[in-house]
Amino acid sequence: MDTATDLYAVLGLEPRASREQVERAYRFCLELYGEGSVATYSLLEPTEAEQQRLRVREAYEVLVDAERRRAYDEGQGFLPPDSAVLAFPVPVSVGAAAELPAVLTGADLRKIREARGMSLRHIAAVTKIGMRFLEYIEEDRFACLPAAVYLRGFLQEYARLVGIDPRRAADAYMSRLPAKG
Amino acid sequence: MALSVSEVLPVAVPRTRRQIWSVGGGKGGIGKSLLAASVGWQLARMGRRVVLVDADLGGANLHTCLGLPTPERTLADFIQHRVSSIEECLTDTPAPGLRLISGAGDLLSAANIKHLQKVRVMNHVRAIDVDVVLIDLGAGTSYNILDFFLLSDVSILAVVPEPTSIENGYRFIKSALYRRLRAAAPTDEVRQLVDSALDPKNSLGIRTPVDLLARVEAEDAEAARVLRREVAGFQPRFVVNEVRDVADVGIGHQLVAACGRHLGLRASYAGFVHHDDSVWQAVRRRRLFMADAPTSRAAEEIRQLTRGLVKGESLGHGY
Repeated sequence: MDTATDLYAVLGLEPRASREQVERAYRFCLELYGEGSVATYSLLEPTEAEQQRLRVREAYEVLVDAERRRAYDEGQGFLPPDSAVLAFPVPVSVGAAAELPAVLTGADLRKIREARGMSLRHIAAVTKIGMRFLEYIEEDRFACLPAAVYLRGFLQEYARLVGIDPRRAADAYMSRLPAKG
Repeated sequence: MALSVSEVLPVAVPRTRRQIWSVGGGKGGIGKSLLAASVGWQLARMGRRVVLVDADLGGANLHTCLGLPTPERTLADFIQHRVSSIEECLTDTPAPGLRLISGAGDLLSAANIKHLQKVRVMNHVRAIDVDVVLIDLGAGTSYNILDFFLLSDVSILAVVPEPTSIENGYRFIKSALYRRLRAAAPTDEVRQLVDSALDPKNSLGIRTPVDLLARVEAEDAEAARVLRREVAGFQPRFVVNEVRDVADVGIGHQLVAACGRHLGLRASYAGFVHHDDSVWQAVRRRRLFMADAPTSRAAEEIRQLTRGLVKGESLGHGY
């Protein structure tokens, strides 16, 4: 979607912006495109600035009105702003460490991850760990996993992101690794 | 002579943590030299080995900002081969870790050093063994100035909250960006399009870098990809100087928004410095306010600004 049709982009917002953010962004844009604005007067012709003001006003009028915003969000496939979302990044809960079993399999990790609604691709993007290694971890393909020192680091990053105790999770997973012979 | 950035950059530069920072702004009298001197001073306080380079061709006065007499050796001596290395032009300052290469000297007043001289200066500046080389650029949008700005790892764009300064600031940004794009243009046709864009009244209707990219995209998708990468790599950092009220502070956020929306640029707002009487009182005493009035608001803001620049942080989007 380009900025010409994305009402959130017109105000410089993300689709889940709160009502207060909409208000603040609107006031910001009014100043940005206001007559005599030092930031835009030399960049835009007066007619262009006027067009921008119109777009800003139209976007605001939809996004500030709960009914119209809901209809717009639905049309665009956006989640409503008050829908439940997972905290990002998922905070480590206090009790998480105690709940971890002494042995963790790749399948266990996948279940925990999926319960958080988190994709493997997301973990790869945030941690910069290659998708391939993340898949090997979840598939318990020990032969393909990197050296223990790297694997421990990968597991801890993974655990931190899905909200379980990093050290215990790494220990629990690595306890199943075949001993080096 | 036209000079591309790639011509200026030496082929094999050893990777060190050395960085080049520059302070530009397009307009004179907006406090670039004081900003460079004080940021350099603060970087040195933070333990960096810093060399300030006064490239304000024709208006070199960084030494005065630092409370120094006109240095014996200047960049002019290096350009004229009166000294063999640029290190011989280094002048110590009262701040440990901070040294200066002065630009004072009639030779540079023409603001017209030749292509090869400039390449030589740039290569030697890059090779100085310090943590940060901080270049104070002069006013205007001459190729000398733009090339130093484009060469930098951290490109600071100073403005004051006045229409003339901001107008010149945009002109500076556009000139620098088009120069960068011209150097990266993979074909003559694309280079000609960039040249057309330089004329604000061009017949192709290209008024902004966004228009230019759209036009290039229509003619040569691969070239557009190359240019987009160059645009993405150009990230000037605004500093609003001489701020007097909250509205002035907000101008930095507006400039970043305007650059993103209408020039397609990812600029950022590094910080602001309030108008502060202790600054000009220090200037009159020929002392740097960072040393003369360390508890002043301006000094504190410089400290914040410098910390943010070191960490690559910005002030967000302002709403």
